[in-house]
Amino acid sequence: MLALSIEKRLPGFTLDVRWETEERVAALFGPSGAGKTLTLQCLAGLLRPDRGRIVLDGRVLFDSEAGIDVPSRARRLGYVFQGYALFPHLTVGENLGFGLRDRPRAERARRVAEVVERLELGGLDRRYPRELSGGQQQRVALGRALAIDPDLVLLDEPLSALDAPLRAQLRGELGQTLREWGKATVLVTHDFAEAYRLGDRIVVYDAGRVIQSAPRSELLWQPASETVARIMGIRNILRGTVIKATPDRIQLRWRGLTLEAVNSPTRAYLPQPEMPIAFFIRPEYVRLIRKDRGEPDPGHHMNLMSGRVVAEADFGTTVALMVRLDEPGPAAQGEYDLEVEVPRLVYEILEIDRDRHWQLSIHRGSIQVLPA
Amino acid sequence: MSVAATAVTLLIGLPLAWLLSHRRFPGRDLLEAFVVLPLILPPTVLGYYLLLMIGRQGPIGAALAAAGIEIAFTWRAAVIAAAVGSIALVIKAAQAGFESVDRRLEQAARTLGRSEWSIFWSVTLPLAWRAVLAGTVLAFCRAMGEFGITLMVAGSIPGRTQTLPLAIYDRVQANQMTEANALALIAIGVVVVLVFGVSRLARLRY
Repeated sequence: MLALSIEKRLPGFTLDVRWETEERVAALFGPSGAGKTLTLQCLAGLLRPDRGRIVLDGRVLFDSEAGIDVPSRARRLGYVFQGYALFPHLTVGENLGFGLRDRPRAERARRVAEVVERLELGGLDRRYPRELSGGQQQRVALGRALAIDPDLVLLDEPLSALDAPLRAQLRGELGQTLREWGKATVLVTHDFAEAYRLGDRIVVYDAGRVIQSAPRSELLWQPASETVARIMGIRNILRGTVIKATPDRIQLRWRGLTLEAVNSPTRAYLPQPEMPIAFFIRPEYVRLIRKDRGEPDPGHHMNLMSGRVVAEADFGTTVALMVRLDEPGPAAQGEYDLEVEVPRLVYEILEIDRDRHWQLSIHRGSIQVLPA
Repeated sequence: MSVAATAVTLLIGLPLAWLLSHRRFPGRDLLEAFVVLPLILPPTVLGYYLLLMIGRQGPIGAALAAAGIEIAFTWRAAVIAAAVGSIALVIKAAQAGFESVDRRLEQAARTLGRSEWSIFWSVTLPLAWRAVLAGTVLAFCRAMGEFGITLMVAGSIPGRTQTLPLAIYDRVQANQMTEANALALIAIGVVVVLVFGVSRLARLRY
């Protein structure tokens, strides 16, 4: 259990954040310069907040009012720096044992051997960091932090130094290592896929503030605001007008159409009729209606609309179709109204490269309303 | 004598360089300007003020004389003169070296439970040793060549406070050119060997 509230004023930037987590891995997610790394530095005691309080498992690490500021070296946190910050003049073995200097020699050797084995660094302990691959360096940095048996592991962009294919592979390995060691972790990333894969809780940062903190599934389906949705990189963020809102349904008008969306009873968001409202439709949840199956059934196919594919983007395994609706008036997103993503197989079976006009339907559960 | 002077400059210069590179404190800029003064002031001016400080009437000199330690016009004064003349080289080189060490390495060491003292010896100094060495060699050569300050505070007493450059000057004044030549060659030899040896050493990685 980690609870933190921090205020830190810097020239041209103010960090003012408050969040807590019960989950094992908390991912701080947000654009670069949002204050994520500053938060880690405050947690680690490398930067002193102007005001605030940091409590880890009942242990007060910092409390400006009580005058408590536990020094870095006594906080027992395993910090893995962006770019890893391995000691270039020391071997892998010396790097791993760096935090164990006050332990007896035999225990130090045993601990290093254990880390080497569990992180599969066998045979590398006499090498220097510059002789290692990026993935190996990352494991050494992680091992150096884990060797001191920390109460909390801090990971600052652990994968950003690697190139894309390796990154995807190491993301899986890193998740597994964190699970195996069972250490509470705070992870910083600007990559939503990384935050989602590794984080049990995601804390969304923007401009020095936390704009949402939620378990990852809740964040995925219920971003707290349009800003959160944009930072998450959600596509098809649209604006309409409320017709009617009840605790579990919201009717709205968009591009001359009437759409029905689910509301969340837990969120109790009940906008007044005629209020502008933001919502989003996930491209992979828009359904194309097959032309060989007769007329669409309004009971089964909700939120029917029709339009023409005006552009497409090929992602290899999927194809994104930019669809302009048949409704009159300017399109919602420049040249098109809706981005629709279909698997390549569907694209080929339906011969979308030849046939450009389609009827679409969107289940009401796939239209997510964004509270203002 | 130059070795002793260099040891003194390291002892005082390294902590100062660390302070200048790692800490922000009031008067830091003033201190930074102060440490380069010996490089830019005329040596005789420095020697004059130094003499006022450590001479028998000076505040430091008087205190030490009361304790039975003579400074002015002894070998100690020659060491102090050489140290004062060369310390700025050590400080500036070491400061630049310390500043070039990635700050995150020191932060990493801190989170791994090390004290600032331990971090200096195990991270900062090992990574900056080339710069420190270069500064030390320069300082040593400068200490060996120190003339003006030494003459002011230690005089040129043969066998006691007469340093190599003072000796050369004396021989030239006395028109003993052969001896002056020999001494000058010794000076050149020492410096060349030193600089060459150090540049070989600096090629080692860490």
